[in-house]
Amino acid sequence: MIPSPDDQNYDLIAHLSDYLDRGENPPEEFLNTAPENRITYDALTRFRAVAQDILAEDVSAEPDLDDGWVARILKNIHREARAGRSIPVSHPSPKAALSLTEGAVRGLVRSAGDGVAGTFVGSCTFEGDVTVPGSPVTVNVEASVFWGERMPQTAQHLRDAITTSLLHHTELNIQAVNVTITDVHLRRNAAPDA
Amino acid sequence: MSLERTPVSVMVSEDRSSLSDATDAILAARAVDGDVRAFEVIVRRHGPLMRAYATRILGSNSDADDVVQDTFITAWERLHELQDPAATKAWLMRITSRKAIDRIRARRTDQPLGEWDVAAPESESPHNLAEAASQRERLTRALGTLSESQRECWTLREIGGHSYAEIAEELDLPPSTVRGLLARARQKLMQEMEEWR
Repeated sequence: MIPSPDDQNYDLIAHLSDYLDRGENPPEEFLNTAPENRITYDALTRFRAVAQDILAEDVSAEPDLDDGWVARILKNIHREARAGRSIPVSHPSPKAALSLTEGAVRGLVRSAGDGVAGTFVGSCTFEGDVTVPGSPVTVNVEASVFWGERMPQTAQHLRDAITTSLLHHTELNIQAVNVTITDVHLRRNAAPDA
Repeated sequence: MSLERTPVSVMVSEDRSSLSDATDAILAARAVDGDVRAFEVIVRRHGPLMRAYATRILGSNSDADDVVQDTFITAWERLHELQDPAATKAWLMRITSRKAIDRIRARRTDQPLGEWDVAAPESESPHNLAEAASQRERLTRALGTLSESQRECWTLREIGGHSYAEIAEELDLPPSTVRGLLARARQKLMQEMEEWR
């Protein structure tokens, strides 16, 4: 049940709000019926406009985040959850069992990719049974390139950098490194993303 | 690559290829893969906005920092559920509003239900709104005169962009009550800010 209104304006506000909240404009005839209708509608839309900017204004009125605040969050997240599968690494001693985590190898891929100017690696997956030495593995990487870069060339650089790094640091039997450009980025300024 | 650096990129773990230029979609995908540095950029980029949003829902900034911490910790754990990584900000806002509402519910547990919709104290009533410097301040003061549930509904609707049905679900109220609370909130704001008309 709707609470009982304090004044006759209540019904009008509720009625106009229904239009606003459905993302529609009330019919012109209705707004023209009485000056009160239009005045109320204008006030409602004005509130909405102020409301939409208010968070951005709140943010600029607040002091910047201090590093301690960010550090507390990072300290409280569970990083080990992302380790993934265990990738064996051979060792001359039969007693030693070495392995890399999938998460660590993804880190290698990202850092190789980030080393290519104007690119960022996004998600990275390994197709194939990485837990069995010598199994064929395909690496699928999504990446973003800086606006204006030549994509085919950049993708090739990424592929080369990732392949080189994986051959150097792991024993994975890499069949292919597939790079999909999913995004384009620009240089951002100090303002947070709107 | 340009060596120019903006003040905001003075990061704890700054890196030559400043990840702060990366899009949310890329950062979220990296964070899902376990890249804490990418997640840190997300926290820095959206943390201030989430704090402002939490403050608006809570009605004050006490607890806002805790809400935002909880929000990002939950976000880290649930990032893999994010369907469209480009919509990271909207997703974070939803988590923030949920966490803020949980706080309010927890605060309310010792209060009798009848007092749940009590009006803000009289001292908050703005009598000199005309003197307020900006529309933001005026609206903030006018919001201070709403009851807690009116303010929550209004904030979730007008700032968070939630539908009646979503607000009803979040606040555990029937949609008709949400509609009533919203209309009341708007009516009151209009009365408080009469000079806008």
